[in-house]
Amino acid sequence: MNGQMRKPVVKMEEVTKIYEGKVMHRALNQLDFDVQEGEFVAIMGPSGSGKTTLLNLLMATDIPTYGRILIGGVEPETLSQNEIALFRRRQIGFVFQEINLLQMLTVEENLVLPLTLDGLPVHEMKAKVEDMARKLRLEDILERRPDELSGGQAQRTAIGRALIHQPSIVLADEPTGNLDSKSAKDVLELLEHINQHEKTTIIMVTHDPIAASYCDRVLFIKDGEFFNEIYKDERRQTFFQRILNVLSLLGGNVNDFSSVRLP
Amino acid sequence: MTFRQFAYRNVVRNRRVYAAFFMASVFSVMVFFLYSMLLFHPSIENTFLKEISALGMGIAELVLFIFTLFFLFYSMRAFLQARSKEFGVLLLLGMAKRQLHRLIFIETMLLGFASILTGIFIGFMFSKFFFMIVKAIVQIPVLPLYLSWKPFGLTMGAFLSLFAIISYIAPVFIQQGKISDLLHGDTAVQSVYMYSKSRGIFGVILLVLAYAMAAFVSRSSILSLFFLLPPLITFGTYFFFTDTLPLILHTLRSRKNIFWRDFWMISISESIVRLKENARMFFIVTIVSTIAFMSVGILASLTSFASQYREVNPLGLVYKSLPHNEFEHRHIAQLTSELEQENLDYFAVRFRVLEQQSSYTQNSVNIVRLADLNELAASFGQQPLQLEQGHAMFLPASASAAGQLSNTTVSTKLAESNLLLNVEGVYPYKLFPPNAMGLNTIVLNHLDFDRVEEQTKGSALSFTYYAFNVNEWQKTKDIGLSINAQVLAGLMLDDRDPVRFEFENPGLNYSHIRMTFSLLLFIGLLLAGVFFLASGSFIYFRLYTSLSHDRRQYAVLQRIGMTDREFKKIVNRQLIPQFFFPWGVSFIHSVFAFLSLQVIWEALAEISIVKELTLVLAGFALMQVLYFYLIRWRYISHIKAPTS
Repeated sequence: MNGQMRKPVVKMEEVTKIYEGKVMHRALNQLDFDVQEGEFVAIMGPSGSGKTTLLNLLMATDIPTYGRILIGGVEPETLSQNEIALFRRRQIGFVFQEINLLQMLTVEENLVLPLTLDGLPVHEMKAKVEDMARKLRLEDILERRPDELSGGQAQRTAIGRALIHQPSIVLADEPTGNLDSKSAKDVLELLEHINQHEKTTIIMVTHDPIAASYCDRVLFIKDGEFFNEIYKDERRQTFFQRILNVLSLLGGNVNDFSSVRLP
Repeated sequence: MTFRQFAYRNVVRNRRVYAAFFMASVFSVMVFFLYSMLLFHPSIENTFLKEISALGMGIAELVLFIFTLFFLFYSMRAFLQARSKEFGVLLLLGMAKRQLHRLIFIETMLLGFASILTGIFIGFMFSKFFFMIVKAIVQIPVLPLYLSWKPFGLTMGAFLSLFAIISYIAPVFIQQGKISDLLHGDTAVQSVYMYSKSRGIFGVILLVLAYAMAAFVSRSSILSLFFLLPPLITFGTYFFFTDTLPLILHTLRSRKNIFWRDFWMISISESIVRLKENARMFFIVTIVSTIAFMSVGILASLTSFASQYREVNPLGLVYKSLPHNEFEHRHIAQLTSELEQENLDYFAVRFRVLEQQSSYTQNSVNIVRLADLNELAASFGQQPLQLEQGHAMFLPASASAAGQLSNTTVSTKLAESNLLLNVEGVYPYKLFPPNAMGLNTIVLNHLDFDRVEEQTKGSALSFTYYAFNVNEWQKTKDIGLSINAQVLAGLMLDDRDPVRFEFENPGLNYSHIRMTFSLLLFIGLLLAGVFFLASGSFIYFRLYTSLSHDRRQYAVLQRIGMTDREFKKIVNRQLIPQFFFPWGVSFIHSVFAFLSLQVIWEALAEISIVKELTLVLAGFALMQVLYFYLIRWRYISHIKAPTS
């Protein structure tokens, strides 16, 4: 595919994560994959497949037991606490299922939050917020507080906050999990748009095959190991069918995906 | 697991929440118990201290009781709100409301019992130490440790009833609301952003008005201000916290140049919520601390009054005999023999003070002989002075009078003796207590003095003044007790002729004043300690109740990429206003209150209380800073702890 020509933004080499404890648990086992610049990748897998662990490693809140992770050419493991914080602040954007806007800040202030941490000049921040609000259709609600927003508006604000500092990767954890289907479609189209027009790399962990069908590539993992990957084709409908096929092969706990069984 | 076991485990496993609550209750039980131990002490029964200690301790215990009641009331409510989710689950599982009330009742009583027992235990351990401190400052004979059921009974009774009231009322706090509301915790975020601009401005006006009045108070207006200032300050403070502060912060918020600078956005917006949520608590803490500062400051200044007592009273003993005093010779003989018995060195001078009419002012003027003064001054190590015939000096009644008279020159004629005088200058040494020789007094040399006496043939004698200069003046407290008794008896029985003499023993007076003030100061300091601990604990409880919200926020900030140092900065900026705003405001209140009090003090005793006040305020500030670091440390470690 066209992705092969670009340079990888995320490079995972034989990554293994073992949780020591009363019961030793191998959450990830020799996982090996790359994500190219500007790619929109979905990671799917049943509960307990290691998705959360993978995300934690990508966020650099945890380090692998064996193997190497390179994000934007740096290995987070080698950084100090401070450098990791700065690294997250500048390189990574996060979008979560539970929307996590700061309650006491308005939409505008939530958007600008990552920039204030870096101490940008105010006029620059203003310009960026205006730009972002236009792109995400948030102009009318900039003065509202999170508890006055609909789920879709809140998630769009969270996406805006994740993108405002132009990170090299956006990590999304079930971004449509708490949303109704209309808002979910909204959010996914927005992510797709950003990926295509801003060339932002997005890695999205999801249960939802519809959400996954918006991506360039879907990576399946099971029990912490690579299971399969498929690339998108011309029509989303057929891509969606192929995702469902892999999921039924993946087996696991059928209930995880029960909501998307097609007639 | 029985129901009671369940309640017990709730308390034990929630110990982190209950720790601060427990600590503050134990402390107030302990202080209450110590006061009771002193109150019922058998050796205090028959000293003059009995009344003071009974009164002081009684008031202190009452204040302590009421304050503890409020404190427990408030913290209980904060706890129950923090645990509302837990109660929601219990109700969802089918617990009856009645059972829930019983659960809370048992939990509170358990805690009450534990803190009463611990408090009394620690109190009893420390009571010997406490008595030693009391002995040292009050200078009374050794207070032995004693065992009596009375202090135990009083403390137990008082606090058991207190906890019973609290545990009975506590469930009311969670009665309202549906289960679903309980499960979601408090969601009333909206009201946090409500404030009234006009009330905010009104609050500032009230405070500024009160401050201005306090700063420009005069002697004549002080009494009306006593009634006017407290309500002004109270309402002003209330509006300041509920409306003025939000007004200021919201204004700041709209100034993006300031607000969008590094961490100010998070800190200020967080402060808006916190200050508004806790406005009432801050109000209470401010008022309570102001009262604590003031009482300690006033007491400290009283102690300073005692320490300046010697300056005001340079003489060891004073005996003033009016003409026709039959006891004069017997009393003087008694005093000198008692002084010798006690092995005290003394130097006595007898002054005969004459009274004449000044033709210049038509006022009566007292006359003192310079030679007598020189004799007394020599015993203080001062050089003798000379006066020409026909010249006189003012003998000022007080230091302020000396200032006024220093540049005054008067030419006058004494009416009865026809003596022409030129009065100029002021007698420079301070040998007497204020007003000892009368308000309008001059000094003559011995030739003029004798002439006045001759001309008036002895009828001019106003009084005879015996001045005893005793170096070890604090040891004279047992001298002349029978004369004192005679003065007292003369005051009581007014059918007899009034006594023709006055006797003053500064050593005895000083020892009374000193004991009283020191005891009151000590009581006040202990009370202030309780207030201090409790108001800090209020803040801690509020922090604790918002912990889950704060943790979520910390997680978000961490993901956005915030370093530990930056996080600490944010915590600082959130905690510092909560800690120091109420205290800062009460500091300012107290400073202005003392500004106006200084006027009274100057009128009364010509002393300055600035030094004592600085000490008191600095001491409290230091304690508060220490407390701040302690609580910040606890708070940060709670925030960072993995969510349970």
